Amino acid sequence: MLKVALRRFLLFVLTLWLLSIIVFLASHVLPGNVGRAMLGPFADPRAVDQLNHELGTDRPLLAQYADWLGGFVQGDMGDSFAMRQPVAPFVWNALGNSLRLALLALVLVVPLGILGGVLAALFVGRPLDRVITVGGLSAAVVPEFISGIVLILIFGVWLKWLPLSAAAPADAGLLVQIKYLLLPSIPLVLVLFGYIARMTRAGMIEALDSDYMRTAMLKGLKRSTAIRRHALRNALLPTISVVATQTVYLLGGLVAIEVLFHYRGIGSLIYTAAQKKDFPMLQAAVLVVGAVFILASLAADLIYAWLNPRIRLGGGE
Amino acid sequence: MKFDFKRLDLLRRGRSPIENHLIDGLVAGRIDRRSFLRHGSVLGLSLPFLGGVLGTVGMGTMPRAARAAVPGGVLRMAQTVPAATLDPMKIADGGGITTLSQVGEYLCFDMPNLTLAPQLAESWSPNKDGTVWTFKLRQGVKFHNGATMTADDVVATINRLADPANGSNALSAFSGVLSAGATRKIDDYTVEFTLDAPNGNFPYYLSSDNYNAVILPAKEGAEFEKNWIATGPYKYESYTPQVGAKFTRFDGYWGPKAIADRIEISYYNDIQPQILALQGGEVDLILQAPVLQSVALLNDPNIQILTGPSTAHEQVHMRVDMDPFKDARVRRAIALCLDRPALVNGMMKGKAAIGNDSPFAAVYPSTDQSVPQREKNIAEAKQLMEAAGMKDGFEVTLTTEDYLELPEYAVLIQNAVKQIGGKITLQVLDQGTYYGDAVPGKSPWLDSTMGITDYGHRGVPNVFLAAPLASTGTWNSAHFNNPTYDGLVASYIAALDLEAQRASASQIQKLLLEETPVLFSYFYDFVSATKVGLNGVIPTAMGQIRLDQASF
Amino acid sequence: MSDAPLPLVASDGGAAARERRERLRVLLRSPTFLVGAAIILFWVFCALFGEAVVPLDPYADDMMNYLMPPSAEHWFGTDQLGRDVFSRVIVGSRDILTVAPLATLISTLAGAALGLVMGYYRGWADEILSRVIDAMLALPTIVIALLALVALGTSTITVVLVIGFTFAPIIAKTVRAAVLAEREVEYVAAAELRRESGLYVMFIEILPNVAAPILVEATIRLGYAIFAVATLSFIGFGIQPPSPDWGLSISTNYGLLTGGYWWTVLFDSLAIASLVVAVNLVADAMQAALHD
Repeated sequence: MLKVALRRFLLFVLTLWLLSIIVFLASHVLPGNVGRAMLGPFADPRAVDQLNHELGTDRPLLAQYADWLGGFVQGDMGDSFAMRQPVAPFVWNALGNSLRLALLALVLVVPLGILGGVLAALFVGRPLDRVITVGGLSAAVVPEFISGIVLILIFGVWLKWLPLSAAAPADAGLLVQIKYLLLPSIPLVLVLFGYIARMTRAGMIEALDSDYMRTAMLKGLKRSTAIRRHALRNALLPTISVVATQTVYLLGGLVAIEVLFHYRGIGSLIYTAAQKKDFPMLQAAVLVVGAVFILASLAADLIYAWLNPRIRLGGGE
Repeated sequence: MKFDFKRLDLLRRGRSPIENHLIDGLVAGRIDRRSFLRHGSVLGLSLPFLGGVLGTVGMGTMPRAARAAVPGGVLRMAQTVPAATLDPMKIADGGGITTLSQVGEYLCFDMPNLTLAPQLAESWSPNKDGTVWTFKLRQGVKFHNGATMTADDVVATINRLADPANGSNALSAFSGVLSAGATRKIDDYTVEFTLDAPNGNFPYYLSSDNYNAVILPAKEGAEFEKNWIATGPYKYESYTPQVGAKFTRFDGYWGPKAIADRIEISYYNDIQPQILALQGGEVDLILQAPVLQSVALLNDPNIQILTGPSTAHEQVHMRVDMDPFKDARVRRAIALCLDRPALVNGMMKGKAAIGNDSPFAAVYPSTDQSVPQREKNIAEAKQLMEAAGMKDGFEVTLTTEDYLELPEYAVLIQNAVKQIGGKITLQVLDQGTYYGDAVPGKSPWLDSTMGITDYGHRGVPNVFLAAPLASTGTWNSAHFNNPTYDGLVASYIAALDLEAQRASASQIQKLLLEETPVLFSYFYDFVSATKVGLNGVIPTAMGQIRLDQASF
Repeated sequence: MSDAPLPLVASDGGAAARERRERLRVLLRSPTFLVGAAIILFWVFCALFGEAVVPLDPYADDMMNYLMPPSAEHWFGTDQLGRDVFSRVIVGSRDILTVAPLATLISTLAGAALGLVMGYYRGWADEILSRVIDAMLALPTIVIALLALVALGTSTITVVLVIGFTFAPIIAKTVRAAVLAEREVEYVAAAELRRESGLYVMFIEILPNVAAPILVEATIRLGYAIFAVATLSFIGFGIQPPSPDWGLSISTNYGLLTGGYWWTVLFDSLAIASLVVAVNLVADAMQAALHD
């Protein structure tokens, strides 16, 4: 067990290191003039040179990478080119905002998805099943900003029920915050519903068919109780892996929705850093998203192993 | 109109020949009231004096905004995130300028109507040829740390800006005008500037127009971002990068104390969320609301729109050294295809002024208004094309940046030249790519055959005349090279007297109409939006905003 | 195909061909497939002939009639420059239907090649490539695309390449899994016994047998490519003005929503939604036909 964990950890470090190279190279592929990008076209060339020197962007690429990686390992993410301040607070703050939005979306979509999946499995092959599976899959491929715009039109502009922006006032309480986050979270629910429902449905169909379900029924358990006790528990497993694999999407892939709703999540942080060529900010944010994903899949594996008796019995002692 | 010559004579006594010549122009009707005020303010004449002169010729006094407002309250403003640090020496964008304008002040202030008002200087005057300017400073001005502002602070601030070693952003404005060490203290409240070359509009270089020239304390000024010490009506409370800034009233302010207790600025990544925040009541005003992006505000009954003249514009350059634009007749033909009133009223929703293919916007006092306005004339354009041997039209790529209404403007130009057989392919680049390294050979902005570039507001046309059009200009996208033009610009810049400036301007305007290396089809207004009922806001076309006398 | 006498493969091929025909018949009878295909064909028709059939010039401005609501003359209203929104929506299918399929083609070719190599050779090449792919998959597609577009600059070609190469690892993973299974089948061993080159075994022997899953995966990717291109255009890193592209139109006009000018964004949104859903329906039907 320890050996497995160690191997996973080494793999985690290796992947992260590869990621750092990809990210660093991507942002330094072209010898763009950072000082010029910061100061704008009308600035004096002397001011541009001065800034490039201050930022250290006139040094060799390898030296810049070594410096950056060295700092990162010691917990120093570097200073933003644009802000001339450490990037870490910006990244953590944005990550926190993204987590909040992701959490609300998950709280909404997990029960809905499981319910949909269970219903589809119970009515397998019938119209309800088709509606849930085909409908869920179709909703999953519609870009979030499209459903976001339609939702803004209906609930924000025509009905005026919900605010159009996701940024709640600074002193807002929990309920107000949820009210602001509701509209942007619905497109995410639409995207994820299909995945979760489909996984639950597959797991459920398998579970309904399984030996222990039949045993349970023979033992005289009511069908509904049996479903709740046994089948659902098994159907939850694939759901967890879906949630884990979609973390990366929820915590970084939401550029469009964050732009549309003016939300300061990590996606929009990456977007603005990319626009401004603020490389330290861009690198830190992207690397954090990658690390979160790798950690999440690690966590999902562990939870999976813990929840699934078969794996626990087979793999552990 | 009844003239009070007796009083006028009294006022004229002791005035310099240049100043008296300006008054002559007014009396003879060659100079209108607005131009008189603007140019008078450049020469350092006080507003009460100018008002007095206007009174003697029956043109009334200056309007005064005297309202009793109850002190207190908070004003909340939305602005775009400052692109970089908030060091006054380095700022270069709207977000930074607006934020700084709450605490910082200049020697003189370019008002929304483009007249120069005294701020930390009380008066100023040039020597005979405009090579030496002397500024008298206001007495009793306190910095936020309690120290009194003197000539030492002004000299230190300006020399810091002019020193190439500091990488100041004001270098491009000062180059060829004011060098490091050329600012000298005469006494505690008098400062003298010795220029590199004669300059009739020098006060603009020390005004809010040159937004880096915030007067800072000599000692603490180098570390502004640590202390935020300046002289404005509000003082620093807090600043959170990318989130916002807060300011409180400065009770030691030299002028009328601020009405609102506090100012809160919230930063947004884009204009859209600012509009939503204003409509949702989260902020009281937006300083810069580009027309095309803020159409939603124009018919909102809860919002009032403030517009003011500006000389910001889009330059459409045509490279005079490349086909198909080598022949001036082709360039003129293209200019004749544009329906300028339709551009202004349709695309810009009326929030712009028509341009006449030269940097001389109608709002500049030196502009010769009698030069005929170019209008759409397809028949003449076709004749010109035929005369140039290009009856069958031409093909060219128009490159521009994805900024404000530029992509839309490019489409309209593309459609317009179809009328004379012009086939334009559009290439819209993001801003970073378009400007590139901003040197020839590495910048689509400077290399493209045809392109559109956004130029921000300038209180005087000097920069617009030199950098993009003079043969040595560093932003000369059109590669325009005309010795006659260069000579005219030199004499325009040196001229102290308004009528002399106007004479050069007239020749420049006519020459540019003939040559048309660059299309200037409109100058867009600056547009701010506030909640209905907020009065006393003073925004400038440059991006500063004075809120000290604003209240609901 | 080589004409070497290989009865085993030949008879297998006949059975496979019969199976393929059977699957095709199932597919053509599936209502999901038919609905999806019809919508796709409609948009392809618009992309090819749109300019000829639209009622008004989609590029012509009319500054006196900007932002007019839908009417008999302008079915979907007009935009900021007075251009006809209906005509623009019809013609707007062209860019996305060029960029997305091209990107999918690139990702399929690159991904299939990569997957074949990884699955066939295994060993250290597979190990290294797998690690790099895992590192890349730790990032959301849109972030990788954004990074690459910042580095390379935005143009139609870079968008095609970037999306193509961003999706390649995902296809590679699918192909690798299919090849790993296929590798154990006897015809591969037979070919290896004949000392055929690795390239021959991979592309002539294995590839035809994994073509079906590749095709299904490619169709699914096409849906996501449309998703990605539209999203990139929306945030300003995709198709550039003055194209009447849907994502781009939404990006330019969504700020007008609060002013009540809903027609400048709604129809483009519905167009994107209809296209991705249609592609997805087709992919779903293909998957069902493959597995049944």
